[in-house]
Amino acid sequence: MMPTAVLEKLTAVFRDVFDDDALLIVAATTASDIDDWDSLAHVNLVVAVEKAFGLSFTTKEISSLNNVGEFVNLIHRKMPPSRA
Amino acid sequence: MLRTQPASLDYFALTKAAKRLASTAPSSARVVRIAVLGDCATQQFATMIRILAHHAGVRAEVYDAGFDTVENEVFDAASGLYTFQPEVVILLNTVQALRGRYFAQKSDKLTFATDQLDKRIGLWDALRQHTQALIIQTNFVRPYERVFGNYDHQVPGSFSDAVQVMNRGLSEACRERKNLAILDTDDIASWFGRAAWFDEKRWVLAKSPCALDFLPHLAQGAVDIATASLGAGVKCVILDLDNTLWGGVIGDDGVDGIRLGHIDDGEAFVAFQAFLKELRNRGILLAVCSKNDHHNAVKPFREHPDMVLKEDDITVFVANWQNKAQNIETIKETLNIGYDSMVFLDDNVFERNLVRQMLPEVIVPELPEDPVDYVKYVASLNLFETASFSELDRQRAELYAVEAKREGLKHSFSNIEDYLKSLEMTIVVDRFDTFNLPRIAQLIQRSNQFNLATRRFNEAQCEAMMRDDAAFLPLHISLSDKFGDHGLISVVVLRRSKPEDGQPPRVYIDEYLMSCRVLLRGVEQYVMNEVFRWAATSGAEAVEGCFVPTSKNGMVKDFYAKFGFERLPDEDAPGAGARPERWERRVADYVQQTAFIQPLSGR
Repeated sequence: MMPTAVLEKLTAVFRDVFDDDALLIVAATTASDIDDWDSLAHVNLVVAVEKAFGLSFTTKEISSLNNVGEFVNLIHRKMPPSRA
Repeated sequence: MLRTQPASLDYFALTKAAKRLASTAPSSARVVRIAVLGDCATQQFATMIRILAHHAGVRAEVYDAGFDTVENEVFDAASGLYTFQPEVVILLNTVQALRGRYFAQKSDKLTFATDQLDKRIGLWDALRQHTQALIIQTNFVRPYERVFGNYDHQVPGSFSDAVQVMNRGLSEACRERKNLAILDTDDIASWFGRAAWFDEKRWVLAKSPCALDFLPHLAQGAVDIATASLGAGVKCVILDLDNTLWGGVIGDDGVDGIRLGHIDDGEAFVAFQAFLKELRNRGILLAVCSKNDHHNAVKPFREHPDMVLKEDDITVFVANWQNKAQNIETIKETLNIGYDSMVFLDDNVFERNLVRQMLPEVIVPELPEDPVDYVKYVASLNLFETASFSELDRQRAELYAVEAKREGLKHSFSNIEDYLKSLEMTIVVDRFDTFNLPRIAQLIQRSNQFNLATRRFNEAQCEAMMRDDAAFLPLHISLSDKFGDHGLISVVVLRRSKPEDGQPPRVYIDEYLMSCRVLLRGVEQYVMNEVFRWAATSGAEAVEGCFVPTSKNGMVKDFYAKFGFERLPDEDAPGAGARPERWERRVADYVQQTAFIQPLSGR
């Protein structure tokens, strides 16, 4: 899966979690750009992403995330080669 | 209780629904003020409580104290918790928080469990000094750190041993106290599997008490307990027969041909009947609603050696060819209970859907395709949550059975007065006493229809009124007749105002409720005479009754009018919701009522 495809799928997860069909995210998007993206929503978001992509992130990986771009890279890196 | 199917307990779907709930206008549903305190993150749990309470038909106002603030809130008399005036306090404790304390303890760990237990109980007792709220305490999920392996069981003070000692201790301490309930987290976690329950990532990052997938189940447990304490609860299970209580079709296969006992899947039906029999012994009524000729339907009950349920266990037996919704209506009329306290179990999807559509308030669970899973599935829905259990519950099924005989007798009298006289009724009207307090509190929780004010006094509040004999005359009423004892059937709380400035005191009927089983016997007339007798001896000039309309108590909307009370203008009360109606009758104008009931001799 190409990073653009990851971003597309990730957008769908964000829209679902934040319940906003018009939500747009880019690589530079951070928690401060989205009103509802507090620490609570972050937990929900990570679990939803893990479910959607069938992945499991380590605690360190989750706590180091700073923006959407890093999220995309992390997902891309964790995907099995056959699906990447 | 879970009115929807388990699939609907999806964390993300519920989170979304909760968000929408917040933006809709407040409904007219009963408001319950619930405080959530925990040694873990409580915010997501509080969200689940809000939405699941909404699904259960109540509007939860939630006070979320925030992470690990239990002691601060409980021990500070001026805390936000007490300002909030909770009706329910949920204490959410986790084994994840406990393990930090356990491993940090350097000294002898033998006392760890009892020390922790004392702390929990100390918190309850501190809470009790400030609030009469229902306290819901979680127990602890058994930990996975078994340093001795299976040998943990033989090492007193090992972590897993300590947790088991604490869980046992919590249950026992809870029994000695009023208005306290255990939320069995250990059961919920083990049901789904502790390996999945413990989500250490979420614990480290956000202090979530469990994997998010299970959070709704945990919250549902708390909502079940809270709604049961408000008086919700299943009173009757309505059963289909063919392929529900036995395998096969009695009309086709005959008593020898149905599958029951040690043949094919026949054991599954025996196990299901045994489970139902336990419910019946607990005081849940069983009714049969079957499409069959009556003489066929009763045959297995009379002739099959492996039937666990007997005809006596079935309070209402309806077997005919009418549609099942119609028959359930008959059962409802006979038992005088609400649709929302009935569960309908039928293997046939057509019948389930018909009842769901025609009688949406009746609880209609799916049933698994394979009867061996009936019990496991039905038990997993936690349909039979209760806030109390007493001797009265055990007797309930008998009481209703005797009632059916009374109904039979009624037809042989053309004149209702002759009938009432023939019952040889005796009554006891007495001030609340400690012996009867649990029964009184229970009746207060359960009565919905004949209930003038629907004020759910808990046991502690009842006790307070019992002790205040200057202001209160709280009465419990028991009735017997020649067929048997009805037990405690009515509660009336009278209050008199202090005489001020030479004004005579006024007597208020703060609450008046009665079991519908004894309607139209003259109990109301007898008791009203007592009310006015007390008013007269108190020197009161008038009695004021209060009626608070609910969706269920329409049957008593004219209660005061029937006794000659006159409606007073409404008081300006702030806030929305049903406004209490005030009714007044001057003591001097009261007309003595006729009732064919004698006070029990020797009282």
